[in-house]
Amino acid sequence: MNLGDEFVRALADLDEQKVIEIAKKRIESKEDPFKILEDIRKATEIIGKRFEEGRYFVSDLIMAGEILKQVMELLKPLLGDKKAESRGKVVIGSVEGDVHDIGKNIVIALLEAEGFEVVDLGVDQPPQAFVDAIKQYNPQIVGLSGLLTEAIESMKRTIDAIKEAGLRDRVKIIVGGGRTSEEVKNYTQADEWADDAAVGVKKIKALLGVS
Amino acid sequence: MDSENTRKEKLKRIEDVINGKEPDRVPVTGATAVWHGAYAGYTTHEVLFDYSKCKSAWLKVARDFDFDTFTVIAGLEGMIYTIALLEQPDMSSAARFILGATHLALGDVYSKWPGYELDKNAHPQFIGKEIMKASEYDQLIENPLEFINKVAMPRINKKLGKVGSAEYNAALVKYGAELARFGAFMADVSVELAKLGYPTIPMSWGYAPLDLIGDFLRDIKNVVMDLYRHGDKVKQAVEAVKPLIIKAAACSAPPKEIRKQIFGTEIVECFFPLHLNEYLNPKLYNEFYWPALNDVFKEVIKMGLTPFVLFEGKHDAHLETLLEAPKGKIVGVFEKTDPRKVREVLDNHIILVSGPPNSLLISGTPQKVEEFMKKLLEDCKEGGMMIWPGVDGGLSRDAKPENVKAMLDAVKKYGKY
Repeated sequence: MNLGDEFVRALADLDEQKVIEIAKKRIESKEDPFKILEDIRKATEIIGKRFEEGRYFVSDLIMAGEILKQVMELLKPLLGDKKAESRGKVVIGSVEGDVHDIGKNIVIALLEAEGFEVVDLGVDQPPQAFVDAIKQYNPQIVGLSGLLTEAIESMKRTIDAIKEAGLRDRVKIIVGGGRTSEEVKNYTQADEWADDAAVGVKKIKALLGVS
Repeated sequence: MDSENTRKEKLKRIEDVINGKEPDRVPVTGATAVWHGAYAGYTTHEVLFDYSKCKSAWLKVARDFDFDTFTVIAGLEGMIYTIALLEQPDMSSAARFILGATHLALGDVYSKWPGYELDKNAHPQFIGKEIMKASEYDQLIENPLEFINKVAMPRINKKLGKVGSAEYNAALVKYGAELARFGAFMADVSVELAKLGYPTIPMSWGYAPLDLIGDFLRDIKNVVMDLYRHGDKVKQAVEAVKPLIIKAAACSAPPKEIRKQIFGTEIVECFFPLHLNEYLNPKLYNEFYWPALNDVFKEVIKMGLTPFVLFEGKHDAHLETLLEAPKGKIVGVFEKTDPRKVREVLDNHIILVSGPPNSLLISGTPQKVEEFMKKLLEDCKEGGMMIWPGVDGGLSRDAKPENVKAMLDAVKKYGKY
């Protein structure tokens, strides 16, 4: 097995020490950092698939996010201003009144590892913050996150505000969080919903037509 | 019927289910943090910080709706305080939840409240924080009660940062006064509820040992990573805090001799909200979470208490482990696991509690709620069950009153035996 395959396997298996060790080796041998990025993307896809198959759970996604963060930090100085071609742009934030962010942060880690550009608005963001971000960043996807059952009304208000601003047709909107459902999607008039992070990433890719 | 008979009738319904019998109809045990306030026209801030408004809203719900019990959980997770105060059993029990007033008194770093860190109508939220460093596991393991009091408490509570300072002493006095005020408020409401024909089922406090470490000491994300990086330490820590939780459960239950006299029932529920259950894969769950939790269950059951367990999130992957727990002794509220699946895997091994999710009570119509309830009751009520409306965390602020009414009407229609 070459170092690249070994790296993909170690990352997919969440073997933290081995991933960092190989990443450092590859960096030392002056390998093209974009090749490493491509391997990260491959491994992240495997992680998502394992979650879908019920082999991985949220704990595994948290660990994956942590390992990804460390590898990306190693790569950052090599990438400099050069960027991999973005596969799509996503604006994401926890809606007004909700300050939870574990799920949102896992989604961001997975999306970035898969080569998407993510603008994280943070938590407790009022509808206007999403409207402004759509105007400023021009994303294809807007992700509204929230854990509380009270986030449902907040998501609805946010989507209403996006409509009122005349921006609804410019973006696809996904609502995400433990208490979202098909019902919540219909009620808020979002395009998609996800009650776990890996499914959220999969649905975002489907909305972008890149799955 | 007079209120005393109504109260007895409602109580018997719940006692029957807990004792493994089918009552006259399925009981509905309502619970919320703020829905009563929204119903009575108060802001979330008002109903959490002003006990007179909380009481009037609580009693208005009790009068306007026909639940079998209706509980307001006016606080956020605070089991670490119950553990810290174990040497003072009466205070220990009262300290179970972080209240708006105790948050102000102590300045805890875990929680955010409407009217302070959040908008006046936002729901209060427990966010948690890394209180204990990964390098401090040994200290916790060696003497958990001392570690929690000496090291953790000053870090958790901004106003307890400097032992012996004027701010520290004032904060402790204020905290004690607030716990007493809250205790008096709850006792007062309980008397008023009885006058309206509502029973109060006494509660004691349990916790999953790993959740105690995750929620209050390491923070969720860190404790998960600890399991991968140095699971042996986590396992020792779980064993170290386990006896404290068992002791807390014993201390917080009303003494056997006075239960019947005060509450009119022998039943005491021991509350366990589970948090990491949904996060953990079966390997981690079976190694670090479940064995210690089951030990606590067994001890609590030996004390004559009934574990009342909130299986938060999806518990599907871990259902079968519950067959290892004592049969018919645990009440289980399943947030996102299909109650039909619970029946299929566990039958009457667990006393089943289910109900409509808040998304339905917020966005649905009375007809949709009735359809949902009809199907739920037809599929699951055999052998006894209870309904917990807003099964994902209790009634949401935004649950529509007409949908809650429809839920109660449906239980009367389809929940009879």
